[in-house]
Amino acid sequence: MDIRRILAVWTAKAACSICRHMGRQGVTWAGKLALAIYPPILRELAAEVRQKIFIVCGTNGKTTTNNLLCSALETEGVKVICNRTGSNMLNGVAAAFVLAAGMNGKIDADCACIEVDEASTRHIFPQFKPDHMVLTNLFRDQLDRYGEIDITMDILKGVMDSAPQMDVIVNGDDALSAYLATECKNPSVTYGISEPVADASDIQEIREGRFCKKCGARLSYRFYHYSQLGDYACPQCGFARPSIDYDAQNVQVGEQLSFRVGTEHIVANYRGFYNVYNILAAYAAADHAGFTLSHFNQMLKEFHPENGRMESFRIRDTAIVLNLAKNPAGFNQNISAVMTDTRPKDLVIVINDNEQDGTDISWLWDVDFDRFSGDEIHSITVSGIRCQDMRLRLKYADIPSILEADVESAIWGRVVDGCGNLYVLVNYTALFSTRNILKKLEGERS
Amino acid sequence: MKRAMKRDMELTIGHLYPDLLNLYGDRGNIACLMKRCMWRGIHARTIGFESEDEVDFSALDIVLLGGGSDREQMLVCEKLKKIRRDFQDYVEDNGVVLAVCGGYQLLGKYYKTKDGTIEGLDLVDIYTEQGEGRLIDNIILKSPLCEMPVVGFENHGGRTYIGKNRPFGKVLYGSGNDSESGCEGVLYKNVIGTYLHGPLLPKNPQICDHLIKKALERKYGSADLAPLDDRQEQEANTYMIKRLMR
Repeated sequence: MDIRRILAVWTAKAACSICRHMGRQGVTWAGKLALAIYPPILRELAAEVRQKIFIVCGTNGKTTTNNLLCSALETEGVKVICNRTGSNMLNGVAAAFVLAAGMNGKIDADCACIEVDEASTRHIFPQFKPDHMVLTNLFRDQLDRYGEIDITMDILKGVMDSAPQMDVIVNGDDALSAYLATECKNPSVTYGISEPVADASDIQEIREGRFCKKCGARLSYRFYHYSQLGDYACPQCGFARPSIDYDAQNVQVGEQLSFRVGTEHIVANYRGFYNVYNILAAYAAADHAGFTLSHFNQMLKEFHPENGRMESFRIRDTAIVLNLAKNPAGFNQNISAVMTDTRPKDLVIVINDNEQDGTDISWLWDVDFDRFSGDEIHSITVSGIRCQDMRLRLKYADIPSILEADVESAIWGRVVDGCGNLYVLVNYTALFSTRNILKKLEGERS
Repeated sequence: MKRAMKRDMELTIGHLYPDLLNLYGDRGNIACLMKRCMWRGIHARTIGFESEDEVDFSALDIVLLGGGSDREQMLVCEKLKKIRRDFQDYVEDNGVVLAVCGGYQLLGKYYKTKDGTIEGLDLVDIYTEQGEGRLIDNIILKSPLCEMPVVGFENHGGRTYIGKNRPFGKVLYGSGNDSESGCEGVLYKNVIGTYLHGPLLPKNPQICDHLIKKALERKYGSADLAPLDDRQEQEANTYMIKRLMR
């Protein structure tokens, strides 16, 4: 083995552990170092995975789906490499493998579950060809970085064509993803929800891709779940929602989620209709790849997200839920999830406009914040770099808010002077720092 | 004049093709127009015209044409041919128009892309050509329409050439129409064409009020807009200026 490979692994591990001591994430930096020291490292390590490499792509739900998939496999005794923290560009993906390698520079793993940023697939696929790709959905997100959703689709089509053996586990309820899967020659299986679900409230959302990607005609919908997800058909060219291989039936949404897929009855203590898709996608991917899932519900029960996806904290007597909301579709789903909790609640909304968030924050105006105007909303505090814009957004929905740019002060203010039930909704770059603040406050002051 | 103000005033906003042109928070522009009318006791309503709907311009006081992806713009340009004549009469009759991004490009003669040329509405003597790379960043302008600098966000591959027309503003930060002329957008009669979204109006309430005022003047002969408490708008605007112009 090339000595540089061992050196790269050691350096990355050291870099990561230094960062952790300093309270920083450091994962992407570790990956960058490893690639700089030994460029073929990702290719070589990925080749050592004994069974399957899964990747998860799509605008929303990547991290949760990927982590659920990883946990589902691990519960069955499979040894898995996973980028759990959601670092999903080239450096983050490299880090997942490098940090999982032993001090001998070798990988000892049956599978890899890797979420990959859509635009970064171009840099990942030349390194390794996944066996399975989960495609969750395509919504508008960070338009300033990707240009337009069409560009994202072109990129994905390119990489799918480059890996014709890879099969695609695709959300059939999303016309954009389903179209992509039919356009490519890759084998595919579908998951979806074939009946309208009671609690998926009908909101005036911007719906991406209401027009047929194939011929341009307006798609007709039997129903919408949310955003453009639903049961669609093109009246002109016949393009339609594919038949669904993994169909979630009898879906119940509320304090907890439950549904049936095949003979499996699935129950999870999560809020948020969108999590049905995440769970279903993970189940479909693992099952389709041939793994027996005899402990799936057990895994869900023990699955504690530790990455700011509906992650719980308690500071003094205040129960806090932290959740990532980084684009209109995701934010609207977050609002639905928050509103299934009918108790009085305080909200802190943190909006940053760093590179990774997308520096364009116009999308705030495409989120249905009007739904936060009810009496059970005790208060809303706006925070983060673009708190001014967030306050203005709420003003034009006739919702007053408290402005506190400093996230720690914003949260602490609600702990001291709130109703004991706090939701903290943050966009991407605010996630890690806010989570650190919550962990710190939880440690110091409980 | 006073009596005219006492009368219930009403404005109708026509949002053209929200099903196709709905990128970049266009809903924010509508929310801003609606609220700033309503807060002053002016009745306001918005009609969204989807791509199959007939548009009766005589019933409209403000027309909003938003942005879309290139593909959607291609689809829309077919529909626009049907309404071109009526739209032009509306513009020449001092009808108020806010056209943003793709909508701005569609006001002109054409948008030449590497995949072909999209024919525009030819309402204003301007044209657009696709350039190398996209111009993506925050942007600040000084516009003759208001005292406050105009702040927004631009994201466009097209370079728009406005010839002898007046620009919407001089670029203080950012790229503007073509990244060379130092100009952004176009003003023609009561039409504003601009690449600025963000959306444009909430952080630039004076532009919003300018549109409302022009629409009221056209409809009722005069307009005297009651001042609103714009501190939050100004703070959001000033924050961006301070951050970008230091």
